[in-house]
Amino acid sequence: MIEIEHLSKRYAETIVVDDVSLRMDEGTITVVVGTSGAGKSTLLRMINRLVEPSEGRVLIDGQDTMAIPEDQLRHRIGYVIQGYGLFPHRNVAENIATVPRLLGWDKRQIAARVDELLDLFQLDPAEFANKFPHELSGGQQQRVGVARALAAKPAVLLMDEPFGALDPVIRSKAQDDLVAIQRRLGTTVVLVTHDMNEAFQLGDRIAVMDQARLLQYATPAELLTRPAEAFVEQLVGTAERPFRLLSLLKVREAIEPGPAEGEPVSVTDTLRDALSRLIWTGREALPVADASGALVGRVSVKGIVAHGRSAP
Amino acid sequence: MSAPSLLWRGAALVLLLLFITAPQLFAFAFEPLTVNGAPAIYNQGSLLSLTLSHLRIVFLATLASTILALGLGIFVTRPSGREFLPLSRSLVNIGQTFPPVAVLAIAVPLVGFGEKPTFIALFLYGLLPIFENTLTGLMEVSPQTLDAAKGMGMNPRQRLFQVELPLALPVILAGIRLSVIISLGTATIGSTVAAKGLGEVIIAGLQSNNVAFVLQGGLVVALLAVLIHDGLGMAERRVSAKLGRAADEVS
Repeated sequence: MIEIEHLSKRYAETIVVDDVSLRMDEGTITVVVGTSGAGKSTLLRMINRLVEPSEGRVLIDGQDTMAIPEDQLRHRIGYVIQGYGLFPHRNVAENIATVPRLLGWDKRQIAARVDELLDLFQLDPAEFANKFPHELSGGQQQRVGVARALAAKPAVLLMDEPFGALDPVIRSKAQDDLVAIQRRLGTTVVLVTHDMNEAFQLGDRIAVMDQARLLQYATPAELLTRPAEAFVEQLVGTAERPFRLLSLLKVREAIEPGPAEGEPVSVTDTLRDALSRLIWTGREALPVADASGALVGRVSVKGIVAHGRSAP
Repeated sequence: MSAPSLLWRGAALVLLLLFITAPQLFAFAFEPLTVNGAPAIYNQGSLLSLTLSHLRIVFLATLASTILALGLGIFVTRPSGREFLPLSRSLVNIGQTFPPVAVLAIAVPLVGFGEKPTFIALFLYGLLPIFENTLTGLMEVSPQTLDAAKGMGMNPRQRLFQVELPLALPVILAGIRLSVIISLGTATIGSTVAAKGLGEVIIAGLQSNNVAFVLQGGLVVALLAVLIHDGLGMAERRVSAKLGRAADEVS
């Protein structure tokens, strides 16, 4: 758990982060979103003390970060930046081994951890361990960057625009992979982005920042239905709102009793996907199947549309 | 490197070794250059021992330049030394603007004749390329890489030795190579103040009006320069290939 209490950062006369308080629960993904220059990167960098706060404090699992020597603190916090900052003179295995080596793990333990991470990120150790960063594609570099950050099993992972340099197809795959790995490891992730779609796709909670201030900190659904300020509403995109809301909800939440014709949708599909299927097939309703494939009811256009309204 | 160019270098090396160990073999080539029955091959000392002395002083002077220039370059790129950057730059530049002959003239009354004044001149003259290249190399390390290193909890010393220096190495090596080549040529004037070296051959030739001697001294120095230049260049290319950079970027 990360608690940020009245955190501010000033450079001479300019205030970059203005009295921000947040609580990030253990094992969740918090996305900090805002326009460039909103102070979101500075906020992130104050968590691992790459930027020293002017005021306020950060607690990780109840411990004040100022009480821990900064290098030791950073050993415990994974850090991924845009462009990844892989070491060009070290191969993939050596890059991933960076923090374990700093911590003095023994060789066998490090080798085992590197192989484990390469497997986790779907990079064949035999093929990739000895490659140098310049021999990797953008998507592979990104995976090595995240693997390196996770090497010493940190409880907290900070990510600053980690998908910014990827093309859209690879980006969406990398985002899905991140969520899957985060759910598996239970890491607390704080991710900074300016991409609202990314925020909605990844965030358990979203913090919206503008001009050094935190405007709203809420779940994606709350952000859509109860935006705190006009700026949040604008950032969320008024035209996109119903569809974003539907993409946050699963089919299981809109099941109606009764039969329907056609190929069933799964209870774990989003309502947005289901609606898109309904529109495309020209049907009024489709059957719903659970994980085992058994039919459990149906979803209808009318039922889904009702979930996309501002006041349910 | 392509096979024909390797062959050329190999041939140059063999020629050089043969010439400094058994110069009499080449007497026929230099005879036409002599007048009045003067000797065609330098006969006042062994070419081999002169070459070794020449290399020795160049090596020692470059080693000293490297230690100081590298240390200074590292110091002025640390937060604590940054304010000394302009000062050290001008000091090193002064070392370069002073002609080595002038340094010799000043140094001889202070330290006497022999190798010492030559060493001082070569040392001062060799500082600039190494210092400037160390600065360039260290400042060119990508800020992203450094940010990542810091963010992973590397302390300043770990960042310097594990990240900055390895990444700056090809550029620093290029500076050392430049310095060695300059020194190899410059060291010949050391013979004017009685330092042992290949300059002796050239000066003997000039004094006795014997073109063959001048040419011999010049040729040996030139061959040394070409071969050492190539050897160090190969080391640089090997280092930069590992970093994934094109070799011509550092040449």
